Amino acid sequence: MLVIVPILASILLLLMTSRLNPEAREKFGAPTRMAAFIISLAMFGVTTMMFLGQIGDVGWNNIEFNNFEFKESYVWIEQLGITWTVGVDGLSFPMVWLTTLLMPITIIATWNEKAGATYFPLMLMLGGALIGVFVALDMFMFYVFWELTLIPMFFMILKWGGKDRKYAAQKFFIYTFTASVIMLLGLLTMYFLMDTQTFSMQEMVVQASGANANGVWLGLEVQKVLFIMLMLGFLVKLPAAPFHTWLPDAHVQAPTGGSMMLAGVMLKMGAYGMFRLPISLFPHALETFQYAIMMIGLVSLVWGAIVCLGQTNLKKMVAYSSVSHMGVILLGIASMQPLGWAAALFMMFAHGIISPMLFAVCGAFKHHYHSMEIGAMRGMAKHSPWLATSMMFGWMASLGLPLLAGFVAELMLMIAYWDAYGWLIIFPGLVLAITAAYYLWSMQRTIFEGGEATQPPESLHGDPVPDIDNSEKVAMLLLAAFTILFGVMPWIFLDMMDMWTQSAMKFLFRLGGV
Amino acid sequence: MAGGGAITTIDSGIIEYAIFIVLLPMLAFPIILFLGHIFNGNQTWVKSAKEGGLIALPIMVASFVLSLLLIVEFIGASQGEYSIGTWLSFGWIDANTMEIDDMAFGVGIYIDHVTVMLLFVASFLCMLINIFSIGYMNTDPINDNRNHRFYAEFVLFCSGMLGMVLADSFLWLFIFWELMGLCSYLLIGFYYEKPSAAYAAKKAFLTTRIGDVFLVIGLVMLWNLFGSLDYDVVFYEGNIAKVDPGELQLALGMMFIGAVGKSAQFPLHVWLPDAMEGPTPVSALIHAATMVNAGLYLVARMFPFFANGDMAGELVDLAFIIAAIGGITAVMAAAIAFVQDDLKKVLAYSTMSQLAYIFTGLGAALWLANTPGKEKYAIVAFGAALFHLFNHAMAKGMLFMASGSVIHEMHHAHHDTHHHDDHGDDHHDDHHDDFDAQSMSNMGGLASKMPITATAMLVGSASIMGLPFIGGFWSKEGIIANAWRVALEDPRFFFPAACVLLGAAMTGFYMSRMWLKTFAGKPKTEVAEHVHEQTPWIPIPLVVLTFVSLSSVILAGMMFTHWSSDTGYAFFSDKNLIDGMIYEFEHVFLNPDAFFFVLTYVAIFIGAIVGPGLAMALYGGSLKEGEKAKPWMQPIVNLSSRVNKKRGFDNSAWANSGLSDALRERLYFDKWYDAAMLKLVVGFANISAAFDRNVVDGTIKTIESTSQKISTQVRRLTTGSARDYIMMAALGVLVIYLLLGVMI
Repeated sequence: MLVIVPILASILLLLMTSRLNPEAREKFGAPTRMAAFIISLAMFGVTTMMFLGQIGDVGWNNIEFNNFEFKESYVWIEQLGITWTVGVDGLSFPMVWLTTLLMPITIIATWNEKAGATYFPLMLMLGGALIGVFVALDMFMFYVFWELTLIPMFFMILKWGGKDRKYAAQKFFIYTFTASVIMLLGLLTMYFLMDTQTFSMQEMVVQASGANANGVWLGLEVQKVLFIMLMLGFLVKLPAAPFHTWLPDAHVQAPTGGSMMLAGVMLKMGAYGMFRLPISLFPHALETFQYAIMMIGLVSLVWGAIVCLGQTNLKKMVAYSSVSHMGVILLGIASMQPLGWAAALFMMFAHGIISPMLFAVCGAFKHHYHSMEIGAMRGMAKHSPWLATSMMFGWMASLGLPLLAGFVAELMLMIAYWDAYGWLIIFPGLVLAITAAYYLWSMQRTIFEGGEATQPPESLHGDPVPDIDNSEKVAMLLLAAFTILFGVMPWIFLDMMDMWTQSAMKFLFRLGGV
Repeated sequence: MAGGGAITTIDSGIIEYAIFIVLLPMLAFPIILFLGHIFNGNQTWVKSAKEGGLIALPIMVASFVLSLLLIVEFIGASQGEYSIGTWLSFGWIDANTMEIDDMAFGVGIYIDHVTVMLLFVASFLCMLINIFSIGYMNTDPINDNRNHRFYAEFVLFCSGMLGMVLADSFLWLFIFWELMGLCSYLLIGFYYEKPSAAYAAKKAFLTTRIGDVFLVIGLVMLWNLFGSLDYDVVFYEGNIAKVDPGELQLALGMMFIGAVGKSAQFPLHVWLPDAMEGPTPVSALIHAATMVNAGLYLVARMFPFFANGDMAGELVDLAFIIAAIGGITAVMAAAIAFVQDDLKKVLAYSTMSQLAYIFTGLGAALWLANTPGKEKYAIVAFGAALFHLFNHAMAKGMLFMASGSVIHEMHHAHHDTHHHDDHGDDHHDDHHDDFDAQSMSNMGGLASKMPITATAMLVGSASIMGLPFIGGFWSKEGIIANAWRVALEDPRFFFPAACVLLGAAMTGFYMSRMWLKTFAGKPKTEVAEHVHEQTPWIPIPLVVLTFVSLSSVILAGMMFTHWSSDTGYAFFSDKNLIDGMIYEFEHVFLNPDAFFFVLTYVAIFIGAIVGPGLAMALYGGSLKEGEKAKPWMQPIVNLSSRVNKKRGFDNSAWANSGLSDALRERLYFDKWYDAAMLKLVVGFANISAAFDRNVVDGTIKTIESTSQKISTQVRRLTTGSARDYIMMAALGVLVIYLLLGVMI
């Protein structure tokens, strides 16, 4: 339901508006926005009620690995054994909830954007496709939704993006599409090599683990090749160094709403895919490549942070900080501790709340000052106190201030990482300091200084300096509130993530305990 | 290695409500911010609520009262823990059994003698400085309409400090530690429009952050050794016995680097003097009396590891490093304080130097604790260090408030004289001219004009200098004596021991210099002649703290140094107050051991006679004709004037020397660090960014453009749009897939 409704609604809205002439389409902007908002809000209500127990009665913290709740299955293409199978577990539910949370917030944050009638339906389609990726339990269906997410994002960048939007949209599309084609190849190869051919992820995991018990499913060499192919698709999406360069371009050119969804949820598709497919299916290959994954993660983490320090464009800096933070996920996976995996899952979630706030701030900055250069505007604390406060809050959350969501993941990761890799911990430690350095330095040059003598940036052409409007305020406040909520009470979702990682590790590596 | 048992769990009593000591100020933070946002500029809000000051005050009083109740219940002998719940729970693969264990981080309240002492210091000073702030902040027009931000951040800071003290695990200690760091950052940058304040705020946060990185690593290592960070588990003797001493020392050493950053010790000391950009109440509370003590608190918390029998002799290297860092900082900071002209900067370096004393004292105490047969001395040494922490916090909080009082009145006097010169001028102007209200060169002769402030400053200085019978004297003697006690056993300790002894003389000099330049002699500017005390909010805390500093002899008589460090020591049961005082006097002035007897008098001689004597010779002078200070200050002014006339000498050769220049440049640390940061780190970052753009992305672009060329050449029909690439990709897929199919 959560998948179908938004996509159908968006197609309906798009169809309805496509026949209108341009002027009428402008007028139709407000109603589509309202429709999109109501639908996304309803979706948020549904997932929240699912979590709280009003819909279904699920013991969220007891869902073991490869068990799913709210499972539904229908035959789709009988001849090929393709089904429409959906379900959620401790790995996917936080992501589904996050998507439904971000959709209304993103719409609120970009409420006053002059976007015409197609922007918000596309947003709806994006949300539906993202949820589709997270809930799909059929490999084919997973891939369909995986590719479907590209389409609305491509058009959002292409139509509402910045100066170089055409280049950025193409780069984004080709880059990630190429990667996912490699992934598709991997999936198909795997399908043909299976003893009993199936598209059902659940059955694949059972089959793989059965074979892994007395040897290596498909043989270690094949496992390694498949693991690399699948991981490549996910690593580009994450993105990990050296495949990260599409991200800054896409982010800088994308409209605010697109950036928020892109950083908030789309990047996490990569991490989610890793857990759902290669890690769940090829534990032997994971152990073989453990060190390589760690190195990729470490390079992303350190490289992303250092490059951040050299940025003069605010949004580019935030985009690179995403690269850096996504490195943490790989480090968590490579730590091979339930704690590290839980840290990775919580990082996905926490970054999913914090980074939209960062991009909302960047968007507001651009919106009001018509510039993105650090230093174009000084003394923001005086002229735009709300924007300055939101910026400081977001920056502080992103650099891992305790009692905000990001800290929990970082702390857990550090513990798991030290256990696995010892003194290499000095690099994540270094990144903690560099992260603080680039965030604080950028704040010094935007929020602080200037004071009464500050001149508004030239890009304003002498107009008075504006603060953010009410819809932006509401979005920032909501994001800040959730950042605090999950920083103070991480157990809300951490407990189910913990259950998933513990049971997954026990299942995959045949461990005892608890 | 879970399972504790070191600490009694307490389920009832006042400790159940202890969490409110932290929660009340934390909840006040959004309330003040919100109300301030709504009522900004409203007359009732400004006059009756003092822009949030009178909302913060009852909260801080409530926190203080609750703290007092808690202290009364726990003072002296008992220690306990009150567990609130689990914060994080997670799975952990035990490498030996290959089983997954359930692990958790808890939340709770922990109380022992160290907590009790710091809790009193923190809650008491938070309350007093809140009172002071109402007098200081709300009367300065530059703060109009933003004081609510000050009070909101102020209460959030108080919450962080109290939380850190009450936390029952190193994890929560760290969480509140960072919260304080945030508030420190926000409050240093309170005057955000000043570039110097923005710079100082960033510098403070980043410098302490470098220490914090090591602290995190240390905590992670500690977790790995114990499987927990709860005091209950890590202090349990059975658990400590199972740990490898080398690894433990490394973990504690890493944590110590965090303490070095937070307490502004060499080589991470550079942020503290710049932090004086913040409003003076902030300097008094955060950068003198409470937050900078966090590092000391962290080191003091390590005591059980050192005192454990199984660790005997294994951790002495770390104890030495702690003492040595203290020794270096004590002398270095005191030397830089010699040449400072800014009243607050002198106090900042003095803070640094005195914190270094406490580090040396703690180092000595930890060494003694780690050496079999010296436990008896360890307790006294530890107590002396904590007692100095107490005395210093009280005295330095008072000194900063007094300096604030001077600066405040200088401002007002400047404003008034300004008005006499040219009437009708906008009063905002006086913030833009180049008159420096903090420079001691503009003061002088204020003793008769600001009697309460001058007295407070006198008592505070005396306490810091360690003049016999006053405040810090009792604790400083203990620190110097114990450093030397260790030096007699471990020759490495001669270095810190010599440093603290030398530091005593240096303290005597720079504190006397500060007082004399400000309060004695003739007024150096017209402004200084028109200064007078006015608002009632400022003197109240000064008077209270003056009496606290003067009465530290009573605390000494209550055997503070014993019960503050020994949980087994029953409060008051051993000796009554008079006996205790007699014991303390005998112990200090008539020590049976000849070495310590001589040492005491040497320390007193150089700290109370040589240092101040030199300062009097250089900076002494009588007040303006016809003006008289209060009877307890007039003799000092007269003495300084006489010494200055008889023994005054010309120090211009020294003042113009290279060393003196180097000290004015703060020994070039700031310059070097800035250069390293800007040239090396940012330079490298810029190169990296260019590399990322040109090489990493460039490779992709080359592939892209090449494939585009090929595609246009192969298929001249299409336009080169996105469709083109999709087709290309699909074709490529097919090819690769066919190839793979052939291979497998």
